[in-house]
Amino acid sequence: MSELAQLIEQSATRLFEDFSDSNAHELMEAGQFPETLWSDFLADGWLTTLLSESDGGSGLGLAGGCVLMRLAGYYSVPLPVLESLMAVYLAAESGFTVNDELLVPAIISEPLKADSEYTIRGVPWARHASSLLVILSSNNETRVSMLSCQSVTIVEGQNMAGEARDDVTINTTQLNDSQSLSGIDIEQVKSWLALGRAAQMAGSLQRVLEMTVEYANDRSQFGRAIGKFQAVQQQMAVLAEMTSASICAVDAAIDHLASEQEWELIACAKITTGESAGYAAKTAHAVHAAIGFTQEYPLQLNTRRLWSWRDEYGNEAQWSAKLGKHCFQLETDNLWSWLTTQTS
Amino acid sequence: MKKLYFTPVITGEKEAALRAEVRSFLDHYGAFNVSNIIDSWSICDPELSRALAEKGWLGMTWPTEYGGGSRSYLERYVVIEELLAAGAPVGAHWVADRQSGPLLLRFGSEEQRQYFLPKIVRGECFFAIGMSEPNSGSDLASIKTRAEKVDGGWLINGSKIWTSWAHVCHQMITLCRTAPPSDNRHAGMSQLIVDLSQKGITVRPIITLAGEAHFNEIFFDDVFVPDNRVVGQVNEGWSQVVAELAFERSGPERFLSSYQLLEAAIKELRETNLMQQAEPIIGKFVARLMVLRQMSLSVANQLQEGKLPINEASVVKDLGTSFEQELPEAMRLILATEPRSSANGGVARLLSDSILKAPSFSLRGGTREILRGIIARGLGLR
Repeated sequence: MSELAQLIEQSATRLFEDFSDSNAHELMEAGQFPETLWSDFLADGWLTTLLSESDGGSGLGLAGGCVLMRLAGYYSVPLPVLESLMAVYLAAESGFTVNDELLVPAIISEPLKADSEYTIRGVPWARHASSLLVILSSNNETRVSMLSCQSVTIVEGQNMAGEARDDVTINTTQLNDSQSLSGIDIEQVKSWLALGRAAQMAGSLQRVLEMTVEYANDRSQFGRAIGKFQAVQQQMAVLAEMTSASICAVDAAIDHLASEQEWELIACAKITTGESAGYAAKTAHAVHAAIGFTQEYPLQLNTRRLWSWRDEYGNEAQWSAKLGKHCFQLETDNLWSWLTTQTS
Repeated sequence: MKKLYFTPVITGEKEAALRAEVRSFLDHYGAFNVSNIIDSWSICDPELSRALAEKGWLGMTWPTEYGGGSRSYLERYVVIEELLAAGAPVGAHWVADRQSGPLLLRFGSEEQRQYFLPKIVRGECFFAIGMSEPNSGSDLASIKTRAEKVDGGWLINGSKIWTSWAHVCHQMITLCRTAPPSDNRHAGMSQLIVDLSQKGITVRPIITLAGEAHFNEIFFDDVFVPDNRVVGQVNEGWSQVVAELAFERSGPERFLSSYQLLEAAIKELRETNLMQQAEPIIGKFVARLMVLRQMSLSVANQLQEGKLPINEASVVKDLGTSFEQELPEAMRLILATEPRSSANGGVARLLSDSILKAPSFSLRGGTREILRGIIARGLGLR
């Protein structure tokens, strides 16, 4: 790990590891925003992680951001870490002035009719945000509008982890006032969000593995720790394999940011973490048995997130289809030469 | 709980140049026999091995003083994955290059290194693995083959089984019991280099269900091995075997055995215009392959740093062999063809070969259950 990553890890860990004693999760799931935790997050300056130093940020970039996301995933932090960081970055790139307010991104992928109502489904944390950063593609250009959340209609919804995923209805005339996100394609924005989510999942997978190993060593049945049973060990080994594959895939995607292979490795990371999520949750719950199925036991904080996150910003099937289509479009017989560019 | 490390590696210009050189070599060498390109590393072609030796692609990472290339593990990785992806029958020198040479470099005597390594590098000396026995498969510590101390050396009696290319190889590193079994099951074993042309050795071929005759049973009847052919320390064979496994289990041969089927399937699906329904399946397998390459390269880099990442190697092998076994299962459902064992079957032949050869992928070099047991130990469960 680079020195920078280590520094991010140390200071973010200090912030994240203690909050779980508080009732932040209960508040968040009851629809309230964990204000105290959020102000600590702002006070530590994390909001501008992705911004360059000239834009007033810490210059850590998306790579540094992903280290933070992984920790946020590990600790099941009930904050819009990915969304807030990404929105602030995209806003700054589009020339908007940003301050310490919660902005969340909302992507529109389909063509819009003029002066009509349009609903963007499942916008993360919309009800708690001060503004939405709406991103769409128009005439082959990525455009960004900043809409005050006071000016839109929000129907509240939540994912399986109780995180706000709201349906937001706007009038398309509200998007007339927009700025160009020059040099950044909307597909790229989608892939960055997918990478951030994959990084959170990698962290969450690591936590699930650690909790499950610890439990298997502590819990005794038939006179010995259940982890001593081969049937349990074999499943746990696969859990460790998939977790390490997920971390590796995310790290490789981070290493290839801003390269020609960027989206392909991100696709691979989202597919790998998505496939691992289901196996990890299933296995962790099988090993923890009934206690893990309770709200009181913290395993569910991670598994409900993994079940939710694998479908957000593109699930395994969607990213696989995109990657598969790309493979068919390569010139005949050159899958191998394409594959080998993915590690160079 | 020991953490598993798979720090990704980005290869540079040196590796790219070497890759181009291997591709150019393969272009000029000509096409390989289609019936051999699935699991090509268990196919023996001494002529190809010697051609690769001439290019300096055997013993690449070994010191120049033993004829090696003093090149990095990453460079070796590039060469071997290019050969495997092309379906090159590299089986003749595979074991010598992958594990016997590195074992001798690590534990062998100076005399052994000077005698064997240059011969391996020249493609003149092929090694077989002498571990499994008729009653000792996964439970390797239960081997019965004995080496008894006699004047000036050892007398071996017993048998080994599943020994690939024993009828072609020149030498075999043979794990023998050199002290009676004790409470420590792993004590009292030694590795002896046996010259396979010796008196007292009988090699009996075993035909696989796919009709191949690459592996054998070997019988030892008072076979004499001189003292200078013991590898490392007498009775310390077990720890040496364990060290060998990091080399044996992490390479790209653990996920590329059925790779040619993936290429052929993509081509066939394109020609039969069945692409759209196949996209998610192809993408899923390509993604798995991308991760496996990253993980295997990462292990190669750790070997370069002098580490012995045995747990990581087990992870690569378990995930890798699952991949190469599941690939034909997935391809058969998206291809509009039935498997055909006839010689001119094209993709149908590759499908047939992959299915028939797949069971061995997760058996050789340590079964899935053994690997998972090793990983579980690393997790602190055993």
